[in-house]
Amino acid sequence: MSEFLQQVVEGVGAGSIYASLALALVLIHRFTGIVNFAQGELAMISTYVAWQLVASGMPFWLALPVTLAISFAGGMLIERLLIRPVEGAPELTIVIVTVGLFIFVNAAAGLIWSFTVKDFPQPFPEGSVALAGVDIGWSTLGVIGVVAVVMGLLYLLFQHTRTGLVMRAVAANPASARLSGIRMGRVLMLGWGLAATVGALSGVLVAPLLFLEPNMMGGALIYAFAAATLGGFDSPVGAVAGGLVVGVAETLAGAYVGFVGADLKIGVPLLIILVVLLVRPQGLFGRAAVERA
Amino acid sequence: MSGQVKDSPAGEPMTEAFLEVSDLHAGYGQARVLHGIGFSVGRGEICAILGPNGAGKTTTLRALSGMVKGRGSVTLDGTQLLGRLPEQTARLGVAHVPEGRGTFNDLTVEENLRVGAYLRHRRGRRARSERVAVAADLERVYGYFPKLRERSRQAAGSLSGGEQQMLAIGRALMLRPALLLLDEPSLGLAPLVTRELFRIVRTVNEEERTTVVVVEQNAQLALDIAHQAHVLESGRLVLSGPADQIRQDGQVAEVYLGISVQARKGG
Repeated sequence: MSEFLQQVVEGVGAGSIYASLALALVLIHRFTGIVNFAQGELAMISTYVAWQLVASGMPFWLALPVTLAISFAGGMLIERLLIRPVEGAPELTIVIVTVGLFIFVNAAAGLIWSFTVKDFPQPFPEGSVALAGVDIGWSTLGVIGVVAVVMGLLYLLFQHTRTGLVMRAVAANPASARLSGIRMGRVLMLGWGLAATVGALSGVLVAPLLFLEPNMMGGALIYAFAAATLGGFDSPVGAVAGGLVVGVAETLAGAYVGFVGADLKIGVPLLIILVVLLVRPQGLFGRAAVERA
Repeated sequence: MSGQVKDSPAGEPMTEAFLEVSDLHAGYGQARVLHGIGFSVGRGEICAILGPNGAGKTTTLRALSGMVKGRGSVTLDGTQLLGRLPEQTARLGVAHVPEGRGTFNDLTVEENLRVGAYLRHRRGRRARSERVAVAADLERVYGYFPKLRERSRQAAGSLSGGEQQMLAIGRALMLRPALLLLDEPSLGLAPLVTRELFRIVRTVNEEERTTVVVVEQNAQLALDIAHQAHVLESGRLVLSGPADQIRQDGQVAEVYLGISVQARKGG
């Protein structure tokens, strides 16, 4: 039993990382209706920024907020320089821009930092703590804690500030938002900035578990897609819940389903995506779009 | 920049044109919808634009608020509206309630109204007094639409069609508009609800002197509250005049436009 609980907690740890990357995907999808395929790569390059800061002597807990701030600015800049010019273009055009961004960022990271793997420092202490008979690593607890804090801040921003209200209004009805005097451009920039920030968080938290290299976010992006699909691509709460479910499912399948093991774990999110799309395409928390014929 | 207002004699307070539309052309891409319409609305008046489906009624309102591009001239109190985006015309006091209500369905009723007051946010010394004014306006809107107060914490998407229309109008009023544009407020609503809605629009107009342009297919209801009316057909104005007179000419409109504008007395 305690081993099972341990696996669940491990799963929640991994899941909270997927949750933050899924949240990044959902934020952008809600505001622009597009899926940002470059989200994982943006998280990766943010992680390199964090690594660079730490390598040049900055303590991790200072490097983290600095990285998040840089990512926020970078996300806003990408919206303004790359996405704004194709605003209103067919969805495929915008998706191809994000795929182009994916390739560019990946190559740029390789050019600047090379494709050889780097060790990313573990920000949390070693060892574990016993909670209710379960040994939980500090690193797992740390990841869960940091993600919980950032999610809490986002919740406060969206539900209890004027800026959050304006952002939700734009997501709900862009035309009416403009008629109320809201300038869309600023809100979209803010949305991309926030998405880049939570995405960066996922990269920085996953890096110590993997190695730092330009292709590190490929797997995480697939988990994030599964999480966003499961939760519903329009629901931030769904993205978080979906991330946790995917994380736990992945961990449990790896531990208990004999033939899955460590190598086939990546099949779990794909299976989740497939089943959700077949059974409930709008996801658990999403709403089916009803279009007037 | 030759759009200067001529002929604004100070000696005609009642008929002073507040909104002046002249030679307005508009459309979508290659499709031209409006072929040079012109009319004016006095300050504090209600103007009804009537006409069959596809006549260009909605396009007229969209050109006024900047949702579609227009050529010609549209001035509000002497300021040119054409060439501005919706978020800019809103700053000039234009509040457009679009067709199909245009509520923020994920937001609560009260949040919808607060978004409507977005432009009234102030920083610094005037922040407090404006906050008080916005709170008072919230009460004022709840006064007009008591149903909205009962449902203030409910998501707008869960309201009935009539309530959503009330909310959309309430949101527009939160802007404290100089010009209120209403697009088919009766669309999809029960007759009783529509009647109530028009009565409130009339009350708002009387109490706050808000200038209103309302586009309607339900000509009779619109004529009941309007001062002036125009009948639009295939992108051109075919009949203009005081609402009473249009009602008298109802036969003409009925024959040519297939709309019923006959007054039903005692209705």
